[in-house]
Amino acid sequence: MGKLPLEGIRVLDFGWIYAVPHATAWLGALGADVIKVETDLFRDMIRDVGATDGVPGPNRCGIFNAINFSKRSLVLNLHHPEAQEIARRLVRLSDIVTENFTVGNMQKFGLDYESLLRVRPDLIMLSGTPLGQSGPMARSVGYGPTTQAFAGMCHLTGYPGRYPCGTGGTWPDFAVGVLMVFLTLCALHHRDATGEGQYLDLSMAEVVTSMLPEAMLEFFLNGVSLEAVGNRDPAMAPHGVFAASGDERWVALAIATDAEFEMLCEVLGEPRLAADPRFAHAGGRLENVDALEAEIARLVRSFDRDELVARLCQRGLAACAVYSTPELMNDSAWRESQMRVTVSHPECGERIIPGLPVEFSDIQPGYRAAPLLGGDTDRILSELLGFSTAEIERLKRERVTV
Amino acid sequence: MESFEHGQDASALADLKVVEIGCTDAIAFVGSAMAGKLFADMGAEVVKIEPPGAGAAERRLGPFRGGRQDPETSGLHLYLNTSKLGVTLNLEKPRARDLLMRLLEGADILFNATPPADNDRLGLNWRELVARFPRLIVVSLGFFGTESSGRTRRGGDLTATHLSGVGYETPFNQVTDPPNEAPLRMAGRQSDYTAGFTAAAAAMCALLARKRTGRGQHADVSQWLAMVSMMRPSIGTFTHDAPESPYYQRLLTRMKTGFPWVFPCRNGWVSFSPLTDRFWAGTKKIMGNPEWADSELFATRLDRLLNSDALEAGLVAWFMEHDKEEIFVAAQAEHIPCFPVNPPAAVAQNPQYRARGFFVEQEHPRAGRLTLPGAPCAMSRTPYRVRGPAPGLGEHNRQVYVERLGLADTELKALAADGAI
Repeated sequence: MGKLPLEGIRVLDFGWIYAVPHATAWLGALGADVIKVETDLFRDMIRDVGATDGVPGPNRCGIFNAINFSKRSLVLNLHHPEAQEIARRLVRLSDIVTENFTVGNMQKFGLDYESLLRVRPDLIMLSGTPLGQSGPMARSVGYGPTTQAFAGMCHLTGYPGRYPCGTGGTWPDFAVGVLMVFLTLCALHHRDATGEGQYLDLSMAEVVTSMLPEAMLEFFLNGVSLEAVGNRDPAMAPHGVFAASGDERWVALAIATDAEFEMLCEVLGEPRLAADPRFAHAGGRLENVDALEAEIARLVRSFDRDELVARLCQRGLAACAVYSTPELMNDSAWRESQMRVTVSHPECGERIIPGLPVEFSDIQPGYRAAPLLGGDTDRILSELLGFSTAEIERLKRERVTV
Repeated sequence: MESFEHGQDASALADLKVVEIGCTDAIAFVGSAMAGKLFADMGAEVVKIEPPGAGAAERRLGPFRGGRQDPETSGLHLYLNTSKLGVTLNLEKPRARDLLMRLLEGADILFNATPPADNDRLGLNWRELVARFPRLIVVSLGFFGTESSGRTRRGGDLTATHLSGVGYETPFNQVTDPPNEAPLRMAGRQSDYTAGFTAAAAAMCALLARKRTGRGQHADVSQWLAMVSMMRPSIGTFTHDAPESPYYQRLLTRMKTGFPWVFPCRNGWVSFSPLTDRFWAGTKKIMGNPEWADSELFATRLDRLLNSDALEAGLVAWFMEHDKEEIFVAAQAEHIPCFPVNPPAAVAQNPQYRARGFFVEQEHPRAGRLTLPGAPCAMSRTPYRVRGPAPGLGEHNRQVYVERLGLADTELKALAADGAI
């Protein structure tokens, strides 16, 4: 397998929280030297959101460690002019800079794209903010989950006629992070061909709206502003989540064709239902979806969840159990997946983290445990910038590297 | 061969040739169309292969103008297939597969969402393709991944969402009556699009690898694992924390155990995050420092988490006296993460998107004047741009098969008569 595709590429990552750190973890696992620039004065807040196995400290948070693998950590107090100068010297040695501060902060530190171009003319820089760098609302602050409300997702997700919903998986941060990987690698490909770097101004809200074409096109084509439809699908029924026997044991199933519906009714022990004129054809099932779902709910209720799912899958139907995270972690397909990675962390010991959600035939991603806060500061300063031990001590004393 | 006008802008991927094959399952999957779109709008030449007659899945999904079902004007087709060349091929026919092989000879990347069993049957298994075309990058998109032992299991957006754990957490911290509030799918086809993003990123990784090795390779993308990747916070909590910890305990219930992200207000809903010390100080300020907010129940971040129900009640009482626009402006002035919950009409008309030119207009030969979501990122040198309209079914057959691959017009006719195209 040999060398990783991004070996020799250096990324200076000012990103924090979720989306940008997720993107740079991809780049790190693919061989880039990713330097996470952070500060103990105002930590990446994910270091302090719990899930530390009861032991306090900034290095033990499982959430942080599941996102920040395969990078190094350098502490720099960017409010200090000397720290800003160190950052600029590192930019000179870097191919890519990433950041997701509120618009204006990088300027304040003298680290905006215009300034950095002077030290690194072929720089690729990615800024990822809630609403992008330009426009009347550009300075808005937000997390992914608050931003998805702006972008249309919350309104469209929910039970019919009830309340708008926040979504699981801290949506959309990680989807945005994957898109950032694609965009950054496109810029790198362009630089390979031309020697030109560029600036990438990403708006998380625009990414989310890009992922809602069903609703946006409905509005643009027909002037109709859609409402939430629960688990339903405009073209398929049944298409939903139904309670099996027991407490919170749910089955999700999607039935596309009449033949599939017949099989479903057989497995549910009520083949006559498939002959019911209301339900025999897809159009009828959609028209009578309330009655249909009531029948399916009544039948599913008497089954054991896993037994029913196994029987449906055996017939080639699209069905699954609704998993909580602990159940997901016990799933056999997850356990055999290459995405399930064990790393050795200096404070937490051996831990499982989710690696990249892709299996390459000729790339074995390089996974290293998330870095300790500032754990690589001395080494980066001496090896990349030639600081002596005495100078490094002075920088600490003067609170440049905290 | 004539490609779309690239205008004055450079495009990052103009040197790449991509072939895209969609999913034939009755349960629609449009992740490969999204991956192809990203490459096409970024300047690559993307040849989209569709079965003759029915065409790709997104052609039947709508939305349709005035509800008139027409595979040429389905909204999802118009959006997902921008800037692509469209050809038809019935891959069940050997002569069609021969043509595909000739297309792949000059291609850099193949996005293939054909179900694994069909790939095996039709000689489209990635191992055969990579052996035959050593520089080709094959990206498989499927529910479980073509290398997994569950490779033939059927799925789709609904099951990818619910088998990944994302559905279990949706709605997030709002469920008060679990039996009557089932786990939810997000709006749209999020796992399709996320798998598409993942496939596009994977293809670029393999492309950069090829610059070093000279060899193509296979990248296996599972719609399900692409969604599992969204679950990093909960997975990290599970693998790093003890079962008795409150953070771990939260993974075991859908019942509301803390703050939601969205709250009701006088004229709708807002998203709002009051948790950190700074945000809480700002929140008190915009509410006019009411007495209840100074209670020691809410002194620290942990206090606020532990007493989130009481805090939420106080907050919502204040929200209900104010409009979402007012709350948004006041909160942002204090740098508190807050946005109105926008319905699609508000999204379509909001001034921020307009100022950035996010939505783009297009004159489509069959669908007329259109508005589409445009670039999700402004790139200063190589803009992401909707370059051309989604193709008609088989619109570029002649251009691709005759002008590029050198077929005679008579051969094209024979292929059509055979049902191969």
